[in-house]
Amino acid sequence: MRRAWSGFCQRMQRVWQGLREWSGDAAYEKYVQCSGRTDGGKPLTPEEFYVDQLNRKYARPNRCC
Amino acid sequence: MKKILRVLVWMAVAVVGAGALGTIAFHRGEPINATWFVLAAACSYVVAYRFYSSFIAAKLLALDNTRATPAERREDGRDFVPTNKWVLLGHHFAAIAGPGPLVGPTLAAQFGYLPGTLWLIAGAVFAGCVQDFVILFCSIRRDGKTLGEMARQEVSERGGFIAQLAVLAIMVILLGVVALVVVNALKSSPWATFTLAMTIPIALLLGIYLRYFRPGRVMEASAIGVALVLFVVVAGQWVADSPAWAKLFTMSGVGLAFAIIAYGFAASALPVWLLLAPRDYLSAFIKAGAIFTLAAGILLVRPQVLMPPLTRFVDGTGPVFAGKIFPFCFITIACGAISGFHSLISSGTTPKMIQREGQARLIGYGAMLMESFVGVMAMVAACAMTPGVYFAINSPSTIVGATPEAVSQTISSWGYPLTAGTMTGLAHAVGEQTLLNRAGGAPSLAVGMAQIFSNTIGGDRLLSIWYHFAIMFEALFILTVLDAGTRVGRFMVQELGGRVWKPLGRMNWMPAILLSSALIVAAWGYFLYQGVVDPLGGINLLWPLFGISNQLLATVALVVATTILLKMGRLKWIWVTLLPMTWLVIITMTASYQKIFSGNALIGFLAQANALAAQIAAGKIAAAKIGETQRVIFNLRLDAGVTAVLAGMILVLVIEAVLQWYAILSQRKAPVLRETPYVATQWAEGD
Repeated sequence: MRRAWSGFCQRMQRVWQGLREWSGDAAYEKYVQCSGRTDGGKPLTPEEFYVDQLNRKYARPNRCC
Repeated sequence: MKKILRVLVWMAVAVVGAGALGTIAFHRGEPINATWFVLAAACSYVVAYRFYSSFIAAKLLALDNTRATPAERREDGRDFVPTNKWVLLGHHFAAIAGPGPLVGPTLAAQFGYLPGTLWLIAGAVFAGCVQDFVILFCSIRRDGKTLGEMARQEVSERGGFIAQLAVLAIMVILLGVVALVVVNALKSSPWATFTLAMTIPIALLLGIYLRYFRPGRVMEASAIGVALVLFVVVAGQWVADSPAWAKLFTMSGVGLAFAIIAYGFAASALPVWLLLAPRDYLSAFIKAGAIFTLAAGILLVRPQVLMPPLTRFVDGTGPVFAGKIFPFCFITIACGAISGFHSLISSGTTPKMIQREGQARLIGYGAMLMESFVGVMAMVAACAMTPGVYFAINSPSTIVGATPEAVSQTISSWGYPLTAGTMTGLAHAVGEQTLLNRAGGAPSLAVGMAQIFSNTIGGDRLLSIWYHFAIMFEALFILTVLDAGTRVGRFMVQELGGRVWKPLGRMNWMPAILLSSALIVAAWGYFLYQGVVDPLGGINLLWPLFGISNQLLATVALVVATTILLKMGRLKWIWVTLLPMTWLVIITMTASYQKIFSGNALIGFLAQANALAAQIAAGKIAAAKIGETQRVIFNLRLDAGVTAVLAGMILVLVIEAVLQWYAILSQRKAPVLRETPYVATQWAEGD
């Protein structure tokens, strides 16, 4: 019973993480992880990253008819 | 034993699908249940995904999971971000699913349910999914290059330039047409206009919240936004019931057109975080919710499809838009079957986020199958209402009349019984003054959706709320395409204009931003305005133009794909892209020719212009109307010119590509592929 519950919780956690990635909530975390690995200088702050990401996203076709 | 069981299961799925397709194709007389549509579509998609897409993946593309994708090689946490395949499927689907698969099938329902449904299923399986999948693959192998860049590198310099121009042209026409759909849905409706207008301050509020208070917390901001939007849908009823407020939000078509033009300009010129992005978040959540609810509603209610398989309008005399099934059904339904615009998404963000080449099958082919399913549901929703009601909502007053009595008399005379009381009662039930002459597909789809939703939750008491929820969902959806498209169009104008006058190309220079925003808004605003003042309601004029330009862009994508595959030495399987490309060339060229040169004034731009000019010459137009008629004549000739230029550009591209194919096949020219070199993945299997 406990194992089933923990399996269920793990699955829900994965779904929640997927939803956070889909919505963009997890974007900054991913960026920080990546900049830590690549040592690309001082990472952007959450505010800077948010605006920078939006400017990039909406400069190319990203919504279809 | 396991293998035999698998074979038996797949055989059963194929037999059920074939049976359901046969049932909807050969059913005559009594109404047919929507379950057959769901079964036919779902089984066809599952079989196509299992067999056709894996054949393409293995034989045509030879997807290689040992090869590092751009997301692995160039990971930077910003553009190149390795993303879980299911999350990326959600991203890609949210990006490709716009109002097109909802509006196109609704309009094409005038031929009956059969032509549109068959095209949605077959078109997606053999053309749309193939295009999205192959272009995604090509872009992955080129570090996420855009369609225009691939056309320039793999076909010719001119090919790239044509692709770039085609994208700009389709963007302008698309934005004008989708804005017209919103205008026709909102005009003279204070409830719907109030609801949509309120989404602007809600989006601004979310924008400020996300920028200054909780940067990047999209889900919590969207939850607040969705709650507020649902509240204003309900509050719209109070506005409609108050004479003073109702007057304020009751707008004419022209007034709404100018309001939308002003909105488009603001969304393009203002910082993206303030209005555009938060509206997009709202739209994405509401879109996902509404599509899921519609699917669940259809499965639960299993409505009867009342539209016949074929209507009398297969002969080309339809009131919604003129023209026969061939070629007009195939350009009216673009998104849902095949949409050139998808190739821009497949060669934009998605290839930079994919973890493995093998996932391109799920994301490229699979997402398009999901969009096609949305199209089939829209077809069911439109066909679940009585044909008389469908035609009353979608036909312009110049054809069916403007009063309930005149409309019911005309439509009943076509063999689709309708009483004046039916339309008056329906309008009252959904909280509107009238539902007559609302060309554009959105109101009739909203009625269909509202009937399905209210049969699931709330019954007739909630019909008006569900109707306005559906209208808000469609309009919100469309405005998101409009503002995002206007902004991208602005960048294109700046990029192209910067070649002529350098300062225009400076992306952060405010005068350049304002000027380029004004140029792009003026371009689509002109098409919107001509649609609003068009005597036939504008959809007959502009939707085919949109369909032609979208399918021409799909032709560009398939030309590029075929060229690349030929260079890869996949001659044996080249028919996979060559056949849909040939089909698209045939339908777009036939439709372009008919729209320009048809002698039928309801179809041909020039014939209609000449007929109006003859009426002026014969003194049949009142003096006060002559100026207006001359403007309509000018617009018709302009549309003929635009169609000719688009078709001409694509013909040049096709001829150029065919010459290159000949040179490669006859070994006069060595094929040069511009793929990025192979780099082995460092990720373990299952990462």
